[in-house]
Amino acid sequence: MSRMIFVNLPVADVAKSRVFYQALGFTINEAFSNADGACVVISPQIYVMILQRDFFKSFTALPVGELGVTVSSLFALSCESRGDVDAMMSAALAAGGGEPVPARDLGFMYNRSFTDIDGHMFEPFWMDSAAANS
Amino acid sequence: MNKMIFVTLPVSDMYRSRRFYEALGWTINDAFSSDTSACVVVSDAIYFMLATHDAFAAQSAKPLVLPRDGASALIALSCEARDEVDAMTDAAVAAGGASLHEAEDLGFMYSRAFADPDGNGFGPFWMAPAAGN
Repeated sequence: MSRMIFVNLPVADVAKSRVFYQALGFTINEAFSNADGACVVISPQIYVMILQRDFFKSFTALPVGELGVTVSSLFALSCESRGDVDAMMSAALAAGGGEPVPARDLGFMYNRSFTDIDGHMFEPFWMDSAAANS
Repeated sequence: MNKMIFVTLPVSDMYRSRRFYEALGWTINDAFSSDTSACVVVSDAIYFMLATHDAFAAQSAKPLVLPRDGASALIALSCEARDEVDAMTDAAVAAGGASLHEAEDLGFMYSRAFADPDGNGFGPFWMAPAAGN
């Protein structure tokens, strides 16, 4: 079985975050969801666990950052085309997300950045696979 | 093409962090690495981009909080067996990481937790294949 990654993110309101991530076109795996958290399916290998902040705290001995103020990791997601990058961005903005930094266009690579409703930063990007291999 | 995720993690010493992640058995893609970044290949869908604090800040409009002072994400990685969970955690601790808490054993699921030398938190886990269905 391919290795799977579950990115666990603290959120203020699981119900609102469910709506946000579904608006991006992702589904929720209800078998791994409850009132305190929900499993967002990005691909068969990639999942985002949105966890109510106090529930998130129960998983770590480390202090938890302040939502929306600071950031300690970024999540870039590959897209099939520039159009897919823009479509994911548009859906995020329409669902209440933010655009903290402008688009970057390097020709062979195009990326944009959005924050979810708690300030977690995602970067949908497209890269010319021929350029990546050269 | 399968969707890929690149998790960018701030690190204070690129050389130390490269050695740490290589000690976990992963390779570095040098085509996507520089003095200020390194691309750790976990699988063909999963990558960690190690970034120096300056390189991380250049990508983010928000203040960086060092992960040991204020985590904003925890990264769980599936493993094929309990032994692989232990092997990954033991390798991490031997290479300068820290075990974050005792193993959690729920029978159908087994997990441990470790931090890299900068405090980025990871949770390797094994789950019985039938448990998710």
